[in-house]
Amino acid sequence: MALYNFKKIMVVPTAKDFIDITLSKTQRKTPTVVHKHYQIHRIRQFYMRKVKFTQQSYHDRLSQILTDFPKLDDIHPFYADLMNVLYDKDHYKLALGQINIAKNLIDNVAKDYVRLMKYGDSLYRCKQLKRAALGRMCTILKRQKSSLEYLEQVRQHLSRLPSIDPSTRTLLLCGYPNVGKSSFINKVTRADVDVQPYAFTTKSLFVGHMDYRYLRWQVVDTPGILDHPLEERNTIEMQAITALAHLRSAVLYVMDLSEQCGHTLGQQAELFNGIRPLFANKPLLIVANKCDVKKISELTEENQKIFSDLVSEGIPVIESSTLTEEGVMQVKTEACDRLLAHRVDTKMKGKKVHDVLNRLHLAMPNKRDERERPPFIPEGALQRKRAMEVDQPKRKTERDIELEMGDDYVLDLQKYWDLMNSEEKQDKIPEVWEGHNIADYIDPSIMTKLEELEREEELRERAGEYDSDEDSEDEEMQEIRVLAKQIKDKKQMLIVESKEKDKHGPRMPRTATKVERKRLEKEMGALGLDMDDKDESHYALQARRSRSLVRKRKREASAPPTSRTRSQSASRPPRDKSGLRDTKMMKKAKTMMKSSQRDMNRQGKKGEADRHVFDLKPKHLLAGKRKSGTNDYR
Amino acid sequence: MRIEKCYFCSGPVYPGHGVMFVRNDCKSFRFCRSKCVKNFKKKRNPRKTRWTKAFRKSAGKELTVDNCLEFEKRRNTPVKYNRELWDKTVQAMKKVEEIKLKRQARFIMNRLKKGKQLEKEEAINEVKKNIHLIRAPHAGKAKRMEEKMVQKLQEDVDMGDEDL
Repeated sequence: MALYNFKKIMVVPTAKDFIDITLSKTQRKTPTVVHKHYQIHRIRQFYMRKVKFTQQSYHDRLSQILTDFPKLDDIHPFYADLMNVLYDKDHYKLALGQINIAKNLIDNVAKDYVRLMKYGDSLYRCKQLKRAALGRMCTILKRQKSSLEYLEQVRQHLSRLPSIDPSTRTLLLCGYPNVGKSSFINKVTRADVDVQPYAFTTKSLFVGHMDYRYLRWQVVDTPGILDHPLEERNTIEMQAITALAHLRSAVLYVMDLSEQCGHTLGQQAELFNGIRPLFANKPLLIVANKCDVKKISELTEENQKIFSDLVSEGIPVIESSTLTEEGVMQVKTEACDRLLAHRVDTKMKGKKVHDVLNRLHLAMPNKRDERERPPFIPEGALQRKRAMEVDQPKRKTERDIELEMGDDYVLDLQKYWDLMNSEEKQDKIPEVWEGHNIADYIDPSIMTKLEELEREEELRERAGEYDSDEDSEDEEMQEIRVLAKQIKDKKQMLIVESKEKDKHGPRMPRTATKVERKRLEKEMGALGLDMDDKDESHYALQARRSRSLVRKRKREASAPPTSRTRSQSASRPPRDKSGLRDTKMMKKAKTMMKSSQRDMNRQGKKGEADRHVFDLKPKHLLAGKRKSGTNDYR
Repeated sequence: MRIEKCYFCSGPVYPGHGVMFVRNDCKSFRFCRSKCVKNFKKKRNPRKTRWTKAFRKSAGKELTVDNCLEFEKRRNTPVKYNRELWDKTVQAMKKVEEIKLKRQARFIMNRLKKGKQLEKEEAINEVKKNIHLIRAPHAGKAKRMEEKMVQKLQEDVDMGDEDL
């Protein structure tokens, strides 16, 4: 349906833009490289492709424009008429026609030049042909500049038209300018139409929506109509007339009782009679607006006669004031009811009704007994209904209080709490104590439970559960403990000492080594035995009787050897003294040697080349407790 | 504002700390620190991870069934604020906490008592077996023998004196 897709029409580019877009598209999307030495069919193909591509782009875009824009014959006559009023049907059709012609011309041009290209025998010729083709297509389009501009304007205006559904329930407001039509629509719907003291504030149709009896209603506001014949009407008024003519709606003819609009009631009545023919088959209602200024009863005789005439013809006249809002609801309900009744009537007279009616069946249950069973409506629902009908003053909201108090306002939601004692409403409630949530302990019977617990506790205490049971151990036990500790320490010492010995070679039994007297006496003394003056003891005597130790002789310069074979080795100076002049130098050499070996020795290395790592995964870096932190360090 | 319990280690999660993970079956897990999160992601069972409270309770290392533990329970129906009730609750809380701590300490102490017994026996054993490391069997014997001899001599002398 083209009805509501006015917003979906694609943008119509200007002629210049159109040409630029298409040509740059051709350049981008087709191959760009061609050489003289290619085979001729390849060159021809290359240029034919370009021509066809350009033609295709133009064709597509123009077709899109033609399909997007609504055909005046295909859409609802209301919209057709409206567009005629706004954009001039002829001009519109002409513009679209021109576009169509342009499209066809472009197609023809392309066809011709593609045919010619088949006979192009050199790159230069083909290129010229392509240039000519593209040039002609672009010129055709350049000539359409004004049409394209016009269509763009139409598109923009079209997308801003209010989306009026011509077939749904509608209320149409009409009357002189400044009588209060826009104010009415503002009051009744959520529309926000401009209301100003000058005439023709509303220059086009406006639509608002409202709900009544669970149905959606459209309210259409029109620009004011002046009283002159149809031919002399301008575009703005014609919109109103179009709406009146085509929309199947209830018509609310608004009159200004106070004559503030600048026209007397007589003139308004004349206008009414003038456009009466447009109201045929439409439920009509007269809205006597601005009744806060003047009521009908306060009018002059002749004016009152106008109204009484209208009433006698069967047209309801309702007083209202959009300023004080009295009568507005009444107008609304009256108009809506009338329109509904009218629509139902029309439907009943039509042919489609019987299909529906035949399928409907109202089931009435038989009365079981004489007991009355009326429908039950709860009190709250009735109250709410009453509140809806009468506009009650709303209760005071927080926002109202905030505005009243200005700067002193403090949001205090605690005042709405429902507590047993209302003085406690402003209390600061504790939530947490020492890592426990107070909410977990709340229990109305907590005091009884606590008492029970305390009683239990007391009993336990009395039973001696909490007595410290350091049963005073007797002295013996304490002594034993002391001794055990000493034994433990001694054991550990022995282990450590044995590890420190750093023995190389096979482990010899204890008896293989000689025990020194000093050591023996020291150890035994430590164990508590008396070891002073044991010179006569068996081990001391034994030691003296055995061979005395052979002391190592200090190496002295020995006498020169007598036999020859040893002379050479004797005459050579020892290695650590060769090449050194004096003791000072010798000392220095020695210190150098020692210092270079120091680091190696400290690390227990065998020599310079010893790079062995004893512990590839040291435990202190890789194991251990990970405290509350990260794994990056321990 | 609530102090939640960490799913893994059962420690307190204060507001502004920790991580909450919501699974696709709408079950949410709160953790107090990344240690617990990482362990959870490794699919470790808190009941088998020795340092968690869940393990300790399930392995009987801590007090599990007791009246004083019934006071702190997550309640699903909130109670309307009543100053008196809140007051009483806070006081009761403090007392209950005291008692709870005492009882928990006592429980652990009882558990460790056995160790003391074993320690005692071990000490006795040790002394019996290895006393020779610190004391020779007849350490002060020589001296005692001497003293005895001296005493005996003295007695003899006395006896001799008496005879005379």
